[in-house]
Amino acid sequence: MIERELLVANRLGLHARASARLVQVLSGFRCNATLIAKGREVNAKSIMGVMLLAAGPGTDVVLRVDGEDEAAAADAVAELFGRNFDEDA
Amino acid sequence: MRLAVSGHGASRGSAMGCARVRLPHVLEVTEQYVEDVEGELDRLHAAIDVVRGEMQALRKRLQGAMAQEIGEFLDLHALLLDDPELLQGLDTLIRNERYSADYALRLQRDRIAGVFTGMDDAYLRSRIDDIDQVIGRLHAALHRRDGEVRGVAGEILVADNVAPTELLQLQAQGVMAVVTAGGSTLSHSAILARSLHLPLVVGAPQALLKINDGDVLVVDGGTGLVVREPDASDLRDHRARTREYARERKQLNRLRREPSRTLDGVDIKLWANAESREDVAEAHALGAAGIGLYRTEFLFLNSNVLPDEEAQFRAYRDLVLGMTGRTVTIRTLDVGADKADRTGLALTDEPNPALGVRGVRLSLLRDALFETQLRAMVRASGYGPVRILVPMVCCREEMVAVRALLARVIADLRREGHEIAEQVPLGAMIEVPSAAIALPGFIGLADFLSIGTNDLTQYLLAIDRNNESLGELYTPLHPAVLRLLHSVITLANKQRKPIAVCGEMAADPAFVPILLSMGLGEFSMHPATMLEVRRAVRSCDLSRLRARAPALLRATDRAGIEKWMAAVAA
Repeated sequence: MIERELLVANRLGLHARASARLVQVLSGFRCNATLIAKGREVNAKSIMGVMLLAAGPGTDVVLRVDGEDEAAAADAVAELFGRNFDEDA
Repeated sequence: MRLAVSGHGASRGSAMGCARVRLPHVLEVTEQYVEDVEGELDRLHAAIDVVRGEMQALRKRLQGAMAQEIGEFLDLHALLLDDPELLQGLDTLIRNERYSADYALRLQRDRIAGVFTGMDDAYLRSRIDDIDQVIGRLHAALHRRDGEVRGVAGEILVADNVAPTELLQLQAQGVMAVVTAGGSTLSHSAILARSLHLPLVVGAPQALLKINDGDVLVVDGGTGLVVREPDASDLRDHRARTREYARERKQLNRLRREPSRTLDGVDIKLWANAESREDVAEAHALGAAGIGLYRTEFLFLNSNVLPDEEAQFRAYRDLVLGMTGRTVTIRTLDVGADKADRTGLALTDEPNPALGVRGVRLSLLRDALFETQLRAMVRASGYGPVRILVPMVCCREEMVAVRALLARVIADLRREGHEIAEQVPLGAMIEVPSAAIALPGFIGLADFLSIGTNDLTQYLLAIDRNNESLGELYTPLHPAVLRLLHSVITLANKQRKPIAVCGEMAADPAFVPILLSMGLGEFSMHPATMLEVRRAVRSCDLSRLRARAPALLRATDRAGIEKWMAAVAA
């Protein structure tokens, strides 16, 4: 199990589009993934779950991954956050 | 306040009742339980697969800027469709509570909506719309599978569209009439509504916007007029129309025992197209020459498993017995294109199903299935005259292959000791232009012919008859259609091959003079319109019409053809 602290730094936060990107990236991995923010935990592979977290810009989140490919999954998600979910602005 | 909305009259009849509005994709499901939990889960997951396929197909069609913009929504919807939380929730509701998939969808939707509407962020809050769209699609897919519709006796359904399978149920539930925003007068639903004598108005988009549940409506399926909150004169008109339709029906009923004979004494053969036991009984009572077209798809589409030889044999034998010695024409399987498929027979995901694996093409690819069907048909011939009709033939080779298989089946059955008819005539449907044009090269391989004018028109004109935006462009009143029909009928008559028209054209009394003038002697139609066609035949003078055929074939456009029709009717 790996936990990684991440900062939502893109302009819109974890809105539909960014949430979709996150779920799409994670769908390529077999490990379980949980996103924790504002005292709540959601399934990070569920688009509804991620949206319901309503993590706006500046929110600190924790990604918890658990499974054989957890390290690669954590890196891929960290990279996505680092690229601000490929948002242009 | 009184409001008149006009659409196209698709099925005659006058009806009055309270409106029941069905908005597209709304969940109006009440608590329902199921016995077969695994079956219900299968049903749900099959619907999910259907919706996923629809989305993928939509995605492929998108191009350019649209692809960017709508593509993102579709991605979101695709993710929602596969959302583990959504799916597990549904599975749990069905498995633990034994709820129906429909009800589980609704509960899950309400649960999710409750959370979303509590969100501070307006943008995220409105994502419930996306979830609703996905759930709505799922619900529609479930709907299409079981064709489940709720109608209430005495009501008039107002909907965006109506599927043929729904019409049957709606009528059984006592619905008086149907008004749809979309649709055309030539769609399958319209054809079926006419055969059910269920008033139907199509192409009335205003109806969906202006009519609310409970509004009193008067609907005229003849003119397409729909009146909300009718006034005294509307009520008077409705009563007059109802009387008029009843009188018409009574007059027609007197023709039940009359021959289908022209004014100059020529008997025209009227066959019945039949799909159900009721159709067969009605055909018999109306004095049909026999069954001109029995579609076997229904045997396949109404059950979730492929019917075996015994099951098919019993169905065909009962059909033969029902017609008490009159000839029965059974068409081999014609699935594909516009027919829903539940048995996994047709290849799905064809980019162009109307031009895909359907009709005899499918049968020849699945020869074990085809052989089973032929065996069942030939065995039924031991109980009365049976003819076998092959759909979607497009070339000589197909008839050669079918003939060979049929010969083998007949030889096998004789060897096995079955009592079968000495002759089991084999016929070809002429509904693909290539077959009509190349017919001189293989007419010898057919014992009889049947022209499917619906598909022939669609393929010849390259017009999808269910495409609403093309509307009235789909019509057999096109010089190309008439000339091709004329050449096929003339050839068959010359070769002394019995030939019938079994498409919608044969069921429309207005087209009777056209077909008679070309020399057609056999018509096949649903029993519901047989008396109207008989009345038309009885008012025609065949020799006069035959003499006017050249003028008809000289017509260069629809207006010219309609002028000819008006002239011969005068």
